[in-house]
Amino acid sequence: MLRLFRIRRDMLGSAVSRRLYTTCSPLPPTPLPHRREVHLWYIQPEEINDSSSQLKHYMDLLSPSEKRDVSSLSGERLQKNAILARTLTRTTLSRYCDGRVDPGSIKFRKGLYGKPEIMWQDGDNIIKPPLQFNLSHTSSLIACAVALETPIGIDVEEKKRQTVKSVLAVARRYFTVSEVEYLAAIPYPDIQRKEFIQLWTLKEAYVKAIGRGFSGAPFKNFTIVMGSDKRAPKMHIEADSDCEGLADNCQFALMELDSSHVVAVCMERDQEISDDEKNSLRLKVWRTIPLIEDELVSGTETVNYICGLS
Amino acid sequence: MASVSATFVSFGCSFNQTKCITAGKNCTISLGMRNHTLTAVRFPRLRVSCLAKPETVTKVMEIVKKQLALNDDVPLKPESKFSELGADSLDTVEIVMNMEEEFGITVEEDNSQNITTVQEAAELIDKLVAAKPEQPASESEQKSEATA
Repeated sequence: MLRLFRIRRDMLGSAVSRRLYTTCSPLPPTPLPHRREVHLWYIQPEEINDSSSQLKHYMDLLSPSEKRDVSSLSGERLQKNAILARTLTRTTLSRYCDGRVDPGSIKFRKGLYGKPEIMWQDGDNIIKPPLQFNLSHTSSLIACAVALETPIGIDVEEKKRQTVKSVLAVARRYFTVSEVEYLAAIPYPDIQRKEFIQLWTLKEAYVKAIGRGFSGAPFKNFTIVMGSDKRAPKMHIEADSDCEGLADNCQFALMELDSSHVVAVCMERDQEISDDEKNSLRLKVWRTIPLIEDELVSGTETVNYICGLS
Repeated sequence: MASVSATFVSFGCSFNQTKCITAGKNCTISLGMRNHTLTAVRFPRLRVSCLAKPETVTKVMEIVKKQLALNDDVPLKPESKFSELGADSLDTVEIVMNMEEEFGITVEEDNSQNITTVQEAAELIDKLVAAKPEQPASESEQKSEATA
């Protein structure tokens, strides 16, 4: 059914694009995530035509400063992905507002270390859901994670991402001693690189969840220990950490998306629930072409849980 | 190199050394140049970045170009932002590692938020090179100039 819809759209070409543009379907309202639930929405840029009117319509949703930022990027691909990233953020958040908040009207501010946050306006029809969100992207996937009330961080990386330097060289420079030992003990380069990418995304997700970013929470200050048997990775702060105020109550989850990307999610643990089982993260994942189609993919082979998810 | 980007006017006005004179937005300034004098002029918003050695800037551009596998047709300027060139966090750390190896310095992570452009990276490198222990600043500058 979904495939038929797409073929018809392509065949009708610009006429359909125009119709979609002018009669753009409002975003179907989505119920708020539950307490330990993460909602993940992602776009694959290749699904949107480079010079389509759809891309121009997305551009119209952006604020003047976002448009300026897009224009300052070198090259069409970067500009397109930046438009899609902003569009994904705005349309995703407006889904949780019961159809009463226009995606183009949402305002944002930056936290202390520069993490983007929603700034609900008084005129936002009194709907002001306490949403936390975070964005991450590669050249071929843009993802937005949403949670209720609890700060969240997400990082995505291409599964087969190569580094120019060896992964052990990067790990020695930026990771903790025990993380380097863990990686160095892996005899097979492919698996070693895969584990490095997983550790990298988990550490990025953590520093993004706590709103500090890489420069505000250098990676040498905390260790992530991979779990076994799909158990969630655990984190501890290094004894010689010189970084104050790092949260030590975070929960992690790792998955593979569309056989192409590793996705790490980090969320603060719920202090009131001590049972680990109830405290593990639940996940819903949608592939989307904003304002055109949404497809729930969690529970399908598109999403492969690695660990930390119930 | 001039670019219209900021509210201050800064202008390199000596021959061998980089030195900047800054003035407020749209105010009249007079500059003294080596063997020349400029009369008072009024500038629109102009910024001429001049605080890093040209050879450092060139080297950083080489590192960035190699790391991001940029084609020759990609415009790479001192004011180019790494993020605008498509660098993600892993690219940025590798760029920093290359800079550290090339110049024999260590860049602390909390400095990494200050190096968002080629120019900023070059300025930090020059500062760290000059501040290397057991070497007087002028001596280390001469050495790196000799090997440049």
